[in-house]
Amino acid sequence: MNKEKIVMAVTIGLVCMVLMTVMFAQFRTVEQTDITGIETAREEELRTMISSWKTKYEETSTQLEETTQKINEYNEKAASTEETSVLLDGELQQTSMLVGKTDVTGEGVIITLSNNEDKEIEYTDLLSLLNELRLAGAEAISINDKRIVNMTEIVEVNGTILINEERVTSPYTVKVIGNQTYLSSALSLKSSGFIDKYTNLGKTIKMTLEKNIKILAYDSGNNLMEFKYAEEVQE
Amino acid sequence: MILIAIMIGCILGAIIGVNIPTIPYTYSGYLAIAIIAALDSVFGGITSTLKRNFDMKIFISGFFVNAILAMALTYLGAKLNVDIYLAAVIVFVGRMFNNLGTIRRYYVEKITNRKIIARAEATIKQANEESKNKEN
Repeated sequence: MNKEKIVMAVTIGLVCMVLMTVMFAQFRTVEQTDITGIETAREEELRTMISSWKTKYEETSTQLEETTQKINEYNEKAASTEETSVLLDGELQQTSMLVGKTDVTGEGVIITLSNNEDKEIEYTDLLSLLNELRLAGAEAISINDKRIVNMTEIVEVNGTILINEERVTSPYTVKVIGNQTYLSSALSLKSSGFIDKYTNLGKTIKMTLEKNIKILAYDSGNNLMEFKYAEEVQE
Repeated sequence: MILIAIMIGCILGAIIGVNIPTIPYTYSGYLAIAIIAALDSVFGGITSTLKRNFDMKIFISGFFVNAILAMALTYLGAKLNVDIYLAAVIVFVGRMFNNLGTIRRYYVEKITNRKIIARAEATIKQANEESKNKEN
């Protein structure tokens, strides 16, 4: 028994081992694979089926994810919508009142300025009255039922006074809503108050306190409240 | 000696093959082709042993290289969408039948020769005995 023979025997034994290992592994694979389900279809068909199912599964899962996200968003929105709508309503009401888009009522004063034989009421008188009233905390003002808003102008053109681009003439009825005490006391201060000062100049000014003054909303054919050039700055 | 080595190898291989984890179905096609190629090499080896021109190097290289080449061709076929493994199966199985035929013929001839020789010996023996009887 020489060395060569032993090497040969071992090699052939190893080869046999490898062959049998692979064969038995294959037998087991074939046995364990569910042949009946796959028998009718070819491998390529199965592959395409698998890939198509995979794509479908992926698509569906993405859709599910998106939908879940949307549902969550909607839920959050729904929870906050009621709160928001209440807040928005309040804000809208406040803003409307502030800019003068609604009729308002309340306590206040009515000042009447009228021309007499000696002196005429000038637009600067009205402007200074407005300033005084605002200082005294007036919340809503109208002159001859022309609502004074933040875009209102009071100008004199060829001897006539224009408010909201409409003519107004004497007597000028200035309706003011605000704290009656503040308003009346601010206007009727001795010597430095508006009424005293202008009465001394010879102008006719009357003031009455009213419990229930109604001031109409801003209503003008000229669209003073439209913005054509100004834009909100987006942050 | 070699027979013992073959038996030990086969038993060990069977045990290992039963115990290793299952190969995924996708790769079982490649494995099957490799097995066919290896079996072809084994039958080729037996044939060459009978013809007395068995070469260890050729056998071992044929065993592994054929298996690997068959797998590579099958892979290439899968990539090209051509069933190349069918060609491999046809070639290897055809060669296996050829080799099996050679082995069968060898043993048939061997048995037939033995019978002829036995008959010839019997005839000679008979003739010898007859001649002895004549002398007596």
